[in-house]
Amino acid sequence: MTRRRLGALAFAAALVLAGCQSGTGVGGNIVSGMQQAITGTSTADLRGATTDIDEPEEIELGRAVTTALGSRYTLLRDEALTRYVALVGNTVALQSERPDVRYYFGVLDTDEVNAFAAPGGYVFLTRGTLALIHDEATLAGVLGHEVGHIALRHHVETIRKEKQAALSKGIGTTALQFGSGFIPGVGGAVTSAAAHSPLMNLLADKVVDLSLKGFSRTEEEQADAVGFKYAGRAGYDPAGLRDFLKAVQDGGSQPTKSGFLAKFNATHPGAAERLKEQEAQLKTAPAGGRRAAARFEQAMAGKPPTR
Amino acid sequence: MRRTTIVAMLLAGTITAPLAAETTRWVERTKVDIRAGRGSFYEIVDTVLKGEQVEVLTSEDKWASVRTARAKTGWVYEAALKPTPVQPGTSDFLKGAPGDISTSRTAASQGAKGLYAQDYAKQKGYDYGIVQWIETHQPGAPQIEAFLKDPGETTGGAR
Repeated sequence: MTRRRLGALAFAAALVLAGCQSGTGVGGNIVSGMQQAITGTSTADLRGATTDIDEPEEIELGRAVTTALGSRYTLLRDEALTRYVALVGNTVALQSERPDVRYYFGVLDTDEVNAFAAPGGYVFLTRGTLALIHDEATLAGVLGHEVGHIALRHHVETIRKEKQAALSKGIGTTALQFGSGFIPGVGGAVTSAAAHSPLMNLLADKVVDLSLKGFSRTEEEQADAVGFKYAGRAGYDPAGLRDFLKAVQDGGSQPTKSGFLAKFNATHPGAAERLKEQEAQLKTAPAGGRRAAARFEQAMAGKPPTR
Repeated sequence: MRRTTIVAMLLAGTITAPLAAETTRWVERTKVDIRAGRGSFYEIVDTVLKGEQVEVLTSEDKWASVRTARAKTGWVYEAALKPTPVQPGTSDFLKGAPGDISTSRTAASQGAKGLYAQDYAKQKGYDYGIVQWIETHQPGAPQIEAFLKDPGETTGGAR
């Protein structure tokens, strides 16, 4: 999943759902699928339909994507480790353009080097990624990159384009409504797998698909830039992100690690350029900032790292 | 009036410095949580919906301390507010949520409550438990506050 991002380093991968692509490929399939799923939609059904994505919808899509992620990876249910990653994650997220989003952080139990950001504030990184990190500043850089995808609304923009494409094809309001899966009135919600919105399902599928392919090169670079900024504002040495990219690059040349990085490097040819860009950014940033290596090592003691 | 006299009266509380006038703002988003502190991890003290009015008491670092129509006071990110009236309304997404949010603010304030994602997971054969675990195993506001105050260590090593 997401190997492409990994290229940037695994974490690009992270971005999870978002996705890179521009609206043709997968988008076209979605529209086609919708047309098959919804027939007989009248023009009147389009009244009031918008392509806006509000926070409740973004959160629901993020939850859906998280379940899909859980079908491919095992969540590491280590409360102390999860709490530590979330503490660092919240520290950098407070410096983002969307500090009002409720962020959730988790660790996936795999040697694969990767990280993911789902819409609505859900961020995951893998045990293999933690194994490449040696201090808190580097973790802050990686999490800052992932938070950046959410703060910059990379997923939202992709979803909005998909909705727009669906509407332009005449897919009606009823398909956009979440409520089609509920029977309002007596007793509140009655969920029905057969009843709920086909468009919402397709959008969730799209986001999951995007997570496997990664964001665009431009979005990766944007997330790098803001991740660097968030970590620095939070008081960390902003060189952390550079250090992680370098670790990924170096790891690819080591036989014991190359297997977990090979696909990433093969599909993320921009990693070297991203590393260079980080080096350039560091030249203009003030030196200093905390690394918090001891606290990181303490949090990792007896935990995951490498097998 | 002599300066010393004014200072003495201020200290005695017989006169007070004027408070900044409260400013009315309108909620611009479908649903906004008002929190106990300047961060998304603080407890929710109230929820306001698109078009509702709030009174801004003070601002700090792009967060506004506001009082809602239900006399609850808390913090909201300023970007969620607008200086001019906003038409009440909801999103297409929430229109059909349980309870009909056009008449029930409780339903709207709870968002989709994970029900859509649960249906999605059920259809796909995925386990919704990962969402529940993640959402219930995050640090609370006191832990995050303490972490923010503790820099860990400062090495600031060479690059």
